Amino acid sequence: MPIGAGGPYPRFWATVGRRPARRRPGVVDDYEWPPGERPLRIVVVGKGGAGKSVVAATMARILARRGRRVLALDTDTVPGLALSLGAASAYPPPLAGAVEQADAGSWRLKEGIGPVRAVQRFSTPAPDGVRVLEIGDHPASGVGSVTPSVQAFYQVIHGLPEAKALRAWTMIGDHPAGPRQTAHDWAPYADTLLVVAEPTWKSALTARRLAELASEREAAAFAVATKVTSSGDAKRVAEIVGLPVVATIPADEAVLESDRLGIALVDHAPPCAAVRAIERLVDGLVDGTVRSVADR
Amino acid sequence: MKIAVAGKGGAGKTTVSGTVARHLSRAGHSVLALDADTNPMLGISLGVGPEETYRLLAVRQGLDDGTIEHQQSVEALVEAFGVDAPDGVRLVVALREARADPGCICCGVTPQQLLGELEGEGRTVVCDMEAGVGAIVRAGNADVVLVVVEPSVKSIDVGARVIAAAVEAETEVIVVANRVRGEADLEAIRAELGDRATAVVPEDPVIARADVEGRAPIDIDSGAPGVSALSVLAERLVAQPAQA
Repeated sequence: MPIGAGGPYPRFWATVGRRPARRRPGVVDDYEWPPGERPLRIVVVGKGGAGKSVVAATMARILARRGRRVLALDTDTVPGLALSLGAASAYPPPLAGAVEQADAGSWRLKEGIGPVRAVQRFSTPAPDGVRVLEIGDHPASGVGSVTPSVQAFYQVIHGLPEAKALRAWTMIGDHPAGPRQTAHDWAPYADTLLVVAEPTWKSALTARRLAELASEREAAAFAVATKVTSSGDAKRVAEIVGLPVVATIPADEAVLESDRLGIALVDHAPPCAAVRAIERLVDGLVDGTVRSVADR
Repeated sequence: MKIAVAGKGGAGKTTVSGTVARHLSRAGHSVLALDADTNPMLGISLGVGPEETYRLLAVRQGLDDGTIEHQQSVEALVEAFGVDAPDGVRLVVALREARADPGCICCGVTPQQLLGELEGEGRTVVCDMEAGVGAIVRAGNADVVLVVVEPSVKSIDVGARVIAAAVEAETEVIVVANRVRGEADLEAIRAELGDRATAVVPEDPVIARADVEGRAPIDIDSGAPGVSALSVLAERLVAQPAQA
């Protein structure tokens, strides 16, 4: 194969391209919500291993327990959010049944399947009533492709901001490691980016790049410091990332243990310090203090 | 020889890549460290420092705003998007976030194509990949795949997927069991991944410190347990003939 011709990357991005960078208002913005009732629309981003899935899943479970309708969105082709929520990943990729081939290498949602129908039919259950929508998995072996499901998912999430029937739903997305999906607008439903970073250079520099992308998109972005062990860690994260740190989640043996056991953090050790820190973050996002902290 | 390093995000791919590359170069090999992650942090583990690592990231992204020109050959790419790291390793950032531009060598070329081109110059290429399974593994372009796993359910699960893809592509696999705190951790990994060639890297405070300070672990203490375990791995990689 000649250099620069073909390969999976051009083919992939030809159909899942870069959208306008700036967030467009959706139906959530059309409505005057009573104080504390505006549904959260969040995407959690960061370097691999920083704790994205644990933060996203724990927030989702907490909000569902408080009576919110919660949709958790996993855009990784190696799904992990369902496990962090305490549920099983769907296999085969659920959205593969929602698409039909358009042209060579390109798929479109079948007629009659919009974002609302996709969430109703293809999301799967997790504890506390959370619903999960995943791209799903590559087959364990063989040359089968996850591409139809990837393209279906991209079309579905781009319909979510306008989906009136889902207006009251909280949406929490979990991106794969790194900046690629953030650069390619894989969370058009989100009005807030939570950039998760450990107090290490690799993690914080990755977060810095993500903060730059958020700023291009003119989306609100806040840093969440994870695996914090000393009082200077959160300040260090804030300095390197260049965003206000709105939550400090301590290094917690319970997180390691639940990772090793493969269970949800909220199910493993409900009163642990990490869960309490995430609860405070949820409180601040719901009552608006996170935004006001950042404005100062 | 082409060595690909794969695994879940945070498992330790970049630390393994950087430290193995430094060891190989010290042993006299001509080493090119290819950062094939759109989140290119290999510079830190190679010891070029956080500022230089971030500068390289910005240079690679500079194609989008016109602050750097497209490159017309693979060697020009190595020059424009790379930097010399300690011990004679050449670091090159292979990818940028934006859509690849087919037909342009520096942004349309895929890492697996680059791997072959670069090896042609008599180099040993160590390729640090994006989190997940990776197209290079699926395509069978590497001579050996280092599958980095830590003892967590998700990390082992991703490792199993990488191994399945590598076995399918008939590529040799070495499991790198990272952050191992005891026999139970190793057992958990072996129970899921089978009894395969495994390099055991113990949990090492020197590596943790290197992460916090943004330095190469090998520059802090080359004799630390985790660092020397990667030295043994590097020796093993070049001791056996590459299997095409």
